[in-house]
Amino acid sequence: MSEEFFFYTKGLTVGYGGVPLIKDIEIRIRRGEILTLIGPNGSGKTTILRSLIRQLKPLTGVVYLDGKNMAIQSGRELARNLSIVLTDRVRPERMTCCEVVETGRYPYTGRLGRLSAEDRRIVQEAMELVHVTELAGEDFTRISDGQRQRVMLARALSQEPELIVLDEPTSFLDIRHKLEFLSLLQELSRKRNLSVILSLHELELAERVSDKLVCIQKDRIDRLGTPEEIFVSGYIQQLYQIHTGVEKTCGGTPELPSVKGIPEVFVLAGNGRGTPVYRRLQRQGIPFVTGILWENDQDYPVARQLAVEVVAEPAFYRIRESSVARAKELMTGCREIICALKPELGGELYPELKELWEYGRQLGKT
Amino acid sequence: MNKRITPISRQDVANNIFEEKIGNRSGSSNGLESKKGAGKMKNWMISILCGMVLVWNLMACGRQQPQTPVVSSFLTYSHSMELHYAREFSVDYYEGGYALITLADSERYLLVPEDKAVPEDLETDITVLQQPLKNLYLAASAAMDMFVALDALPRIRFSSLKAEGWYIREAREAMEAGTILYAGKYAAPDYEKILEENCGLAVENTMIYHTPQVKEQLERFGIPVLVDYSSYEKEPLGRTEWVRLYGLLTGREAQAEMLFAAEQAVFESVKGDDSTGKKVAFFYITNNGEIHVRTPSDYLPKMIELAGGCYVFQNSEEESSSSTMMLQWEEFYAAAKDADCLIYNSTVDGELNSVDELLAKSGLLKNFKAVQEGNVFCTSRKLYQSTMSLGTITHDLHEILAGREGNLTYFYKLE
Amino acid sequence: MKRISYEAVFLLLIFLLAGLLTANLCVGSVNIPLREVLSLLKEKGENTVHRDILFVIRFPRALAAAILGGALALSGYLMQTFFHNPIAGPFILGISSGAKLFVALTMVVSLEMLRQPGAGLLIGAAFVGAMLSMVFIILMSGILDRMSMLIVSGVMIGYICSAVTDFVVAFADDADIVNLHNWSKGSFSGTDWEQVAVIAIVVLTVSAGVFLLSKPIQAYQLGENYARNLGVNIRWLRVALVVFSSLLSACVTAFAGPVSFVGIAVPQLVKYLLGTTRSMVMIPACFLGGAVFCLFCDLLARMLLAPTELSISTVTAVFGAPVVLVMMVQRRRDV
Repeated sequence: MSEEFFFYTKGLTVGYGGVPLIKDIEIRIRRGEILTLIGPNGSGKTTILRSLIRQLKPLTGVVYLDGKNMAIQSGRELARNLSIVLTDRVRPERMTCCEVVETGRYPYTGRLGRLSAEDRRIVQEAMELVHVTELAGEDFTRISDGQRQRVMLARALSQEPELIVLDEPTSFLDIRHKLEFLSLLQELSRKRNLSVILSLHELELAERVSDKLVCIQKDRIDRLGTPEEIFVSGYIQQLYQIHTGVEKTCGGTPELPSVKGIPEVFVLAGNGRGTPVYRRLQRQGIPFVTGILWENDQDYPVARQLAVEVVAEPAFYRIRESSVARAKELMTGCREIICALKPELGGELYPELKELWEYGRQLGKT
Repeated sequence: MNKRITPISRQDVANNIFEEKIGNRSGSSNGLESKKGAGKMKNWMISILCGMVLVWNLMACGRQQPQTPVVSSFLTYSHSMELHYAREFSVDYYEGGYALITLADSERYLLVPEDKAVPEDLETDITVLQQPLKNLYLAASAAMDMFVALDALPRIRFSSLKAEGWYIREAREAMEAGTILYAGKYAAPDYEKILEENCGLAVENTMIYHTPQVKEQLERFGIPVLVDYSSYEKEPLGRTEWVRLYGLLTGREAQAEMLFAAEQAVFESVKGDDSTGKKVAFFYITNNGEIHVRTPSDYLPKMIELAGGCYVFQNSEEESSSSTMMLQWEEFYAAAKDADCLIYNSTVDGELNSVDELLAKSGLLKNFKAVQEGNVFCTSRKLYQSTMSLGTITHDLHEILAGREGNLTYFYKLE
Repeated sequence: MKRISYEAVFLLLIFLLAGLLTANLCVGSVNIPLREVLSLLKEKGENTVHRDILFVIRFPRALAAAILGGALALSGYLMQTFFHNPIAGPFILGISSGAKLFVALTMVVSLEMLRQPGAGLLIGAAFVGAMLSMVFIILMSGILDRMSMLIVSGVMIGYICSAVTDFVVAFADDADIVNLHNWSKGSFSGTDWEQVAVIAIVVLTVSAGVFLLSKPIQAYQLGENYARNLGVNIRWLRVALVVFSSLLSACVTAFAGPVSFVGIAVPQLVKYLLGTTRSMVMIPACFLGGAVFCLFCDLLARMLLAPTELSISTVTAVFGAPVVLVMMVQRRRDV
């Protein structure tokens, strides 16, 4: 059964100076899979990764790569199978990007490190794959963080590994580069049947890119599973011990705590238009109510977290009389009514919603 | 070089506390018999002197003033010491037994006789030395020989060399017997010990200017410092002539004159012979391969010339202020390769025991003519302390040049 | 990023080397006209003194300056790479302090026994002292986690050795102190062919060894973790770097005393000329650069105040320190 797994650990315990930090680690990954480690700060993600790449001696247990015990493989052999992208600040003097990528060929070149034509081709290919070809002649220290990270990925690729291990590769990137990088990783993993192990802080990205997730908490692996299994209601909150703020369940966008109190504003919302308003009111510290929202509306989850009360209807149901009445009642109690549906008002709107708006206009609080 | 001398301030003199100063300056046990009673006597004597000088000056108004060093209106110039060779010191005598000593044209000392007073208006840069000078701290090892020859060894109480550092028998015996105490190197004297025994004068060598704070500290304690410049003398007899200065300081002028005359005679006897034309090199090699030789204007090369030899290191400079210079290997090689005789200066880094040791310093010496012919000599350690025997040293050199290596006192042959 | 091609830089360095070697042979405090030098080289000259000066004094000295200069530059390059620090030099690990201590001990002890220490003895003593410092450093590198701490260790060794040296010197005569002071200034004077032979064998062998390490050194430039992942045995590399660098520095200290600044300035200059830090190119270029720099400085040391000789460290400092300063300023602008 273990043979189908390309990379797995058995009874692995890791830690520093003889003190176990995480015990009984059982990680399994097939070829072409992406495995992500998630967990709170200081939970030991980096420790585990370092033990997996043989930079930290495990306290007990074995790591198997391609069926062989990793601890007994020679440095050169391991170098051909495993490459890494770390958070280390790499600041070589006067090295071009091309030269950085070329260091990846080290396990394949001869005594003096001269590159053959084949080596150069592989380097070119690696750079093309991550779209850094035009940076080849640039000084490595002068390019942007995003470009640098890609060059390091190219370097890892030129090593022609079977497994790449990355430690928080997207931490210093902006949102665009985060997405680019991870999508690149996914593409490579599929195209070349490359196994990838990485750790991420960005849960929403982890949810999207991973085939498997490993959740680390306290001194053990809490769960190992697919994103669907991990990102269930309340688990992330429990994993990360979130008390302030509320965590959205499916999707992973967190919200800051709601403002409690007697509502002062009524927001007529829906179709996602309410969310910015809700957040603005939360920032301003104003308690609010909102409606009428169907439970499958985009605004609904955020409203649930942030509003004092939500007048809601189950998905695909007609709006009930009682809901309209409740909404009007709340409107009366508020000092201001915000209509977030302005663009929709001009069209064929549900009559009940139009009715509410008229009512609000009547009250003079819009 | 720092040549400051801390004088008695005129203020002090004016305030009439010079009595105490006199007591401190002499520093000797004599000073302890405080001249309280004689104080009044001194005052009276000064007044008479003042009167005399005043009158003399008034009379002299019309006359043309002769060019005599005037350091105080109380002192009348009498005559100067006639120096035959020495240039680094001069002595001007004044009536009443006072003597003004000038060293290196800049440092001045007034030697005041035992029963006399210090003039009130003495120029401030002149240091007062009140006779008798006792409990001397001798940090100029070149002067020891002179003191011994002058029979003035009892005047010395402190030495900057330990007993084993002296090659002069009497000095070593005195130290072993405890009559002379070791009081630290010139750079770090044992101030407490020196002060405790009322040192009257510190005779330092010129190295003291590398550590001026020591000189200042001694002077602050009221101990006058006299620097022995005899090593700056260009003529060998100029060096020897310093015995006359020490004779003056210790009250043994007559003896000094005799000693000096004797050395002069020895030199005359050696000078007679013609030059042998033999080339001599005098040098030493430091541990990192640098060659140091004496400049041709220094007294040692002059002694070599006097002995009939030819000093190989001639440079174009007429007067160099220092006595040694560094030569590059090329120049040394070019000049000394064909020298007939090599003399190694052992005083700096120690005596050599054999030619092999010399060659261990640098293998390049193998090719030198003197090495190949076996004419390599080394100075013995007592050479630099035997300042009263320059004549004998020159005689030794003469013998070496003549090929008679049997009876040498200050050199020995390296085998 | 390359300003000039590598070939051009090497040609320049070789040309300078040849030129300076010639200059050092022809120029000296004893005037030997060029014609005579040429005829002497062809074995036709008559003047034995001049011939000796040329072959016995100038030639070995020039060769020693060149080879030791190369050793210094290479040692400095190794230290700068190892510590990722541009002002690391060949003596940063305290090698010269250990050597000085042993030299002081030897001087004092041998003079106590009333024997003059020969040149050979002092060379041996300096070497032994340097090697002991090296062993200590290697032991420390096995214990310490971060290699940057080794610099601290080196500085501490320097202080300890200096203190012990001072203590030893307190028992010494003034003569010893003067001698030690002279030794510390550094000089190529008095080198003979035997010494050149030893220098050549040691330095050239070690330099060849360093060249063979150019691949792991290149990998090391990205940091220890990446180098380890590429299959470099970091522990052995550390030891090798320390040993090779120490051997080179020890050689220089033993034969010429501690010569400063060559090891710090030359790798920076060469890096600037080449426009790269590719180790396979840097290693030979540093060696050549060091040889050129040292020959130049030795020429000045001999000729500026002839017949007196300036200490070589003085000249290297005058030329080397500004280079380092300029490099520092440039670096800040880059960042």
